[in-house]
Amino acid sequence: MSAAKRVQQWATFARTWHIFDCKWQDPYLSANVIKKYLMGMHKPIYHPMNDCGDVVVCINSRDIALRGDDWRQRAYFHHTGYPGGASWTLAWEVHNKDPTMIIKKAVYRSMKGNLQRRHTMQRMLIYPGEEVPEDIMQNVTNQIRQLRPVPTRLDHIPEDEVKKYPKVMEYPEDYVLK
Amino acid sequence: MVFLTIANLIRCRGPDEFWRKRKIFRLAAHYIGRRRNCYSVAVRNVHHALVYATKARRLKKQDMKDLWDTRISAACEQHNITAFSMREGLERSNILLDRKSLSDLAAWEPKTFQCLAAVASRKLHLDGFIDGTDQKAPTGKNLNLDNVILDDWLKEKK
Repeated sequence: MSAAKRVQQWATFARTWHIFDCKWQDPYLSANVIKKYLMGMHKPIYHPMNDCGDVVVCINSRDIALRGDDWRQRAYFHHTGYPGGASWTLAWEVHNKDPTMIIKKAVYRSMKGNLQRRHTMQRMLIYPGEEVPEDIMQNVTNQIRQLRPVPTRLDHIPEDEVKKYPKVMEYPEDYVLK
Repeated sequence: MVFLTIANLIRCRGPDEFWRKRKIFRLAAHYIGRRRNCYSVAVRNVHHALVYATKARRLKKQDMKDLWDTRISAACEQHNITAFSMREGLERSNILLDRKSLSDLAAWEPKTFQCLAAVASRKLHLDGFIDGTDQKAPTGKNLNLDNVILDDWLKEKK
């Protein structure tokens, strides 16, 4: 390999579009992953002053999963600036109002507060469902791996497959199942 | 050649005050407003600036180290190896490169870095080294999450 070929790199400074499926993902853990792609920290040419961040398209943000009792316990604070303007909204209320808000705030908070942060956030597109506009979807070239596998629900497994599954024992005839 | 100090020397031959203040004003020359015109304000800001400069000499080194670490871990991720095991593997194969040269290779000579990553992972494979940090973030060979390198390692005969 010649010296020129060895160091040749294609599309190093290109903006890549990634897609991330938020289904059953913890928004606060996946925020750290999304942040990495938004800021370009996954590239060896990364520098804070270097505009090398990518675009991340988040889909299924309606189906995020919060830890433990967080839907009821976690409150989002807002202040209008006027006296008595403070308000606390619970996570489930925020999510009902706008299904993209929680993941957006999680990514925003995971980044360091500087002048670049709001511009970096512009590169993040969030969709509550799986429907993404065609002109956006045609740019996407990479999928970010989910942090945890999406669990299979028992009522989503086909009936005959459940019946085929090996049993430890049969219930007695007179056993009352709730 | 113009000697600017000579005019001042003639004007002010008395006690040291003018020259003492002048030294501070020279350091505050690029400040804005009263910070450069009033001595009492200027001297405070110059002292702060000198303290910051002293601290920053260490911070600059730390910042560069953080930047190199970010770049190295980014490059390692592209080759399915954690920065930790990359470091361990290179050390075991007696390739003693520091952060700076590794990150330079990652940015400017990606093929060289790829070979280094291959050497490191091969060496770790031969040594039977298992990266504990891999357990939480499995690095599969393809996007199938069930296929985890760690499991392959454990199954293989060593």
